[in-house]
Amino acid sequence: MIKASTKQEQRRRKPPLGLRLAPYLFLLPNTAIFVLFTIWPAINGFNISLYSSSNGRTFRWEGTGNYQRILSDDGFWGVVMNTAIYAVAFVVLSVGIGIFLAVLVDQQGRGRSFFRAAFFIPVLISPVVVGLIWNWMLERQNGLVNTFLGMEIPWLVDDNLALVAIIAVGVWMQVGFYMLILLAGLQSIDPTLYEASGMDGASRWLQFRTITLPLLQPSILVVVVLATIHGFQAFDYIYTLTGGGPVGATTLIVQYIYENGFVSPIRYGAAAAGSVLLFCVVFAITIVNYMIGRKREAV
Amino acid sequence: MARKKTNTARLLIAAGATVLLAACAPGEVTNEGSSSEGAAPEVQTVDPAEFAGETLSYVYFTDGPDEQATRDLIAGFEDEYDVTVNLEILPYADLVTSVQARLSGGNAPDVVRLTSLTDFRADLLDLRTYLGEDYAEEFLPGPVTGATGDNGELLAVPSDATLNGPFVNVDMFEEAGVELPDPADPWTWEEMVDAATEVQEATGSDYAFAIDKSGHRLSTILSQYGTALVDGNEVALDPQKAEQALAPLVEMMADDRMPRDFWLGSGTRYEGANEIFLAQATPVYLSGNWQVGQFAANAEFNWAVAPNPCADECGGFPGGKYMAALAEGPNPALAAEFIRYMNTAENQETFVAAGGFLPTRADLSEEGVQYPARQADMDMFLQDLERTPELGYEANAAPAFSGAGTALVEALSRVVAGEQDLGTAMSDLQQSTQSLVEELAP
Repeated sequence: MIKASTKQEQRRRKPPLGLRLAPYLFLLPNTAIFVLFTIWPAINGFNISLYSSSNGRTFRWEGTGNYQRILSDDGFWGVVMNTAIYAVAFVVLSVGIGIFLAVLVDQQGRGRSFFRAAFFIPVLISPVVVGLIWNWMLERQNGLVNTFLGMEIPWLVDDNLALVAIIAVGVWMQVGFYMLILLAGLQSIDPTLYEASGMDGASRWLQFRTITLPLLQPSILVVVVLATIHGFQAFDYIYTLTGGGPVGATTLIVQYIYENGFVSPIRYGAAAAGSVLLFCVVFAITIVNYMIGRKREAV
Repeated sequence: MARKKTNTARLLIAAGATVLLAACAPGEVTNEGSSSEGAAPEVQTVDPAEFAGETLSYVYFTDGPDEQATRDLIAGFEDEYDVTVNLEILPYADLVTSVQARLSGGNAPDVVRLTSLTDFRADLLDLRTYLGEDYAEEFLPGPVTGATGDNGELLAVPSDATLNGPFVNVDMFEEAGVELPDPADPWTWEEMVDAATEVQEATGSDYAFAIDKSGHRLSTILSQYGTALVDGNEVALDPQKAEQALAPLVEMMADDRMPRDFWLGSGTRYEGANEIFLAQATPVYLSGNWQVGQFAANAEFNWAVAPNPCADECGGFPGGKYMAALAEGPNPALAAEFIRYMNTAENQETFVAAGGFLPTRADLSEEGVQYPARQADMDMFLQDLERTPELGYEANAAPAFSGAGTALVEALSRVVAGEQDLGTAMSDLQQSTQSLVEELAP
């Protein structure tokens, strides 16, 4: 008897079908666009990686042939090494400098709006323009940097220096964006924590270590994930800055994919296989980052 | 129970995805190459009056001054045939990918201007179908080589030819008191390098010699030393000859007679050294006839085209553009007629004269072309065209040429950067070219 009344009650309480379907209907347009422009191309990209094309349009079944060819290519492993060095350095420097700048512009004082804007402006510049500007600035004989230093440092034509140069330019270009995320994180920290610790005699450094860093961890995690993705997908400004040279020293994996897919002789299969491998790596690193972040949060 | 249902659903989704994936092959799937027998197709005659009211799309990239000439010729074609031509001008860098995207989408244009047929060979119309077996004989055999399919098809018409060759700063040579070579009796490579070095020392220019960072331009030197990267579907590179050919460049870059930073600083990208020449930073610059127009407009000094230097061979290295019709285009008969019209002797002369190109028609080559300016320089290129060995045409037409050219640039970069000696780099290049040829074999 009680059961029956509960069921009746539930039936009475159940919203009408239209209302229940409404959220799904609202989600439908975005879901359709997401499937059409993200999921479907991703599936098709994986599919293309299983074929080879001799003229870019007529495809032959290859199975894992493209993957085997890429993985046995010395050039690919050189590119992987460059990408790994770039990504690690980019993440470490971007996050480190991002935190430093965020703390700096979080201080009360005159001109902080100016500095916030100044550090953020490079994010707004087109990466191609960034590449061209820095190409002129780092030029050996007439570049602004060498003129200022009064030296002739071959920034863009020495293997090691060129890699350092693209990392520095990449960090300069993106760090303002990370600074902004971290700044938002800093501003959500309750100021009374600093007041209380100050009254207990804690130094600024101790406050930073024991209050700022732990409470900033969710923002740091976001920044680390974003910087990792940016680090592995860097291409546009590097291509205009160094073209991947000298002698492939600054060729990263996206350029490798681009050159396979869009430079004659076109190899769509190899380009797609490279993209799938890149996706797997970025996906794995992102998952690991999240897991580490969650573990820390739980602690 | 609920878990079991979920697992079944997951399995069904996975199976569905697998079926979906198997069904969505990326395009036309084939197991073998073309099965064409090579027999000339039966010529289809079409009454030109039948074209009236039709529309044709022409995908084009421009080198600059050729655009207006093309528009004028198109206007003439539209008047004569009562048709509409949609001229679609694309940036050169987007041409191949854009046309391939249109082909994949079932929206093939009728006619395309190309620099290489490599990425389209399977999609091109055999023009013999409409223009006849003998039509190719109206053109020079060298440029036709690049337009000929593996089974003798005429896959395109060579619409203009280009040739690599050296430009010299006449003012700097005069200031240094160094004589220019006799056009009829070209200098040797050693003589050219010595002359350039002497001018550099006398005038204090930054460099003695500059060359575009391009596999095509480097192939000029290989050709003069009697070798090439590829020959049809085979590797043609003789590493010893290549070593001999490229050694002067390596030496000049080592002692700053050539711009080393220019060579190393742009990775795999093509770079033209025209600005170095225009800035009078070098007395000799190896590029090609397409630079004549811009030097005529921009150079603030006296310059001239010199004959290509000789080693084992003389002459330059050929290139050029093609007009091709796509087999899947909506109107192949009109496309073939359009290509024929644009390449009559009169119309090709108009086009090459305006663009500063070299003719590909045998009759024009014999009679010569009257250019609006710099006739002597263009004649120098025409004269060198006659000295150009056949191997250059074979190499430039090979499917693996562009990829091997990029590999050549990278190989030389490794040597210039001190990562490899020239001999090893050339042996490695021979092997990588072999792999490329095997990969791209039809």
